[in-house]
Amino acid sequence: MRTSNVTYLVKKGISSVWKNLLMSFASFSILMVSLLLVGCSVLLMMNVNTIMKNIEDTNEITIYLKEDVSEKQVTHIRSVLEKNTDITEVTYYSKEQALEDFRNNMAEYSELLDYLDDNPMPETFLVRVADLSKIRHVVNTISEIEGVEKIKAPYDFASVLLQIRNTFTLIAGAVLLALVVVSIVIVSNTIRTSVFARRNEISIMRYVGATSAFIKTPFFVEGMFIGILAGAAAWGLTWLVYDSVSSLFSADLTLWQMFGFYGLIPFSDIMWIVLAVNCGAGALLGAVGTVFSTGKYLKV
Amino acid sequence: MVELKNVNVHYSSGVDALQDINLRINDGEFVFIVGGSGAGKSTLVKLMTREITPTTGRVFVNGYNLNKTKGNKIAKFRRSIGMVFQDFRLIQELNVYENVAFVLRIADQSTRFIKQRVPYVLNLVDLAGKARSKPKELSGGEQQRVAIARALANDPGLIIADEPTGNIDPRLSYEIVELLKDINRSAGTTIIMVTHEHDLVKHFGGRIINIQDGAITFDDNIGGSDEDE
Repeated sequence: MRTSNVTYLVKKGISSVWKNLLMSFASFSILMVSLLLVGCSVLLMMNVNTIMKNIEDTNEITIYLKEDVSEKQVTHIRSVLEKNTDITEVTYYSKEQALEDFRNNMAEYSELLDYLDDNPMPETFLVRVADLSKIRHVVNTISEIEGVEKIKAPYDFASVLLQIRNTFTLIAGAVLLALVVVSIVIVSNTIRTSVFARRNEISIMRYVGATSAFIKTPFFVEGMFIGILAGAAAWGLTWLVYDSVSSLFSADLTLWQMFGFYGLIPFSDIMWIVLAVNCGAGALLGAVGTVFSTGKYLKV
Repeated sequence: MVELKNVNVHYSSGVDALQDINLRINDGEFVFIVGGSGAGKSTLVKLMTREITPTTGRVFVNGYNLNKTKGNKIAKFRRSIGMVFQDFRLIQELNVYENVAFVLRIADQSTRFIKQRVPYVLNLVDLAGKARSKPKELSGGEQQRVAIARALANDPGLIIADEPTGNIDPRLSYEIVELLKDINRSAGTTIIMVTHEHDLVKHFGGRIINIQDGAITFDDNIGGSDEDE
């Protein structure tokens, strides 16, 4: 199709938005609410993921070895740990290093250690896992290795966090799905109204040889245009909401830092991605709504 | 060229709309199709515009085998014919110029071509001065001339006019037929005009096809009274 005729169809679609103002506004509103919630959920998820990542980064499993472990066994344990694909980092602490560390950490009581005859610290491996959800599995595997006395792992906190994330994903997913369905239904009704208002024109178009693409394009433009407007508006609102939530956390983060939370991702870092996602999702919802209203009703 | 071979149309309601129709209309002919209401004229028009396909038999129009024409090919085929209806079927929101330009857009013509072509066809139907008027502001005869201009826009080899004088002042009916005759004579466009107005047919004469109860009962040339004068 020629550019001039594509322009003509696009103009026709956009002008239809104003002619059909009340229904267009209904579609715009519901799409905006949906996209606002989509945007906020995505931002929340991004932040939760950042927190998870912070925890994962500091996430160490401490493996204490038995008192009587031989040097050969230590080498064996190290090679087993290094071969495990879930483990990303392995660090070994000898008895001496462990004591030294303890001494440094507890400087005030270091003199007490001088009274010790033996070094009471066990030999230790510190390992990190790539995926927090596999931590329990990794711990189980390690505990079966000969020479391992005790394992310390932060899986309780990890599993709580994982559970929160999974539950949230499930609820947000269900709410979003419902909103998406409602949005599509409303958009499709709006377009249907538009099709009905132009039924006479459409029947004439058929007689004079319009292809079905020619007839349908303005309706797609209409649906997608509403979607993009709603996406942009939702983006503005998301920004406002996000900024006010950010300011809540700006005061004192000491408590939160314990949980791996070092403040929200600044909106300016992600604003363009959010805008693109919002408008893209809006256009997609608009297009899908249009498919439902034009598929059956517009046969050449 | 229009050709129907052993065509039967049987509607699901149980009506046999057309029975064993054999018909051939050559390029450049002007043909009246006459018959009372319910005789099968509309069904015949629907076959020739590929709104329906025959239950049995074959339909060829402008080199298209309409039994096998589907999807966007139907759109392409319809651009090769011009349609004129009893109720004009103009788009009320668009002015005269835009109504004609509209079909050229649909045929994917350039804006430059449209700007040349629309005034030209409006001139042919003597409506150059009304280009900016809306259909509502025109008389029935003028609206039908806009519809004829629209049918001419794509320079079709065939124009099918379905009761084009049905909604207009009888005195103006003659002007409309005269206009179609002119187009037929000057451009060699094949014209099929469906009508139930016998006076009009008698006046102009030419090839007449009469349909009754779904069958062709008469197909021959008669002399028109205007030729006798």
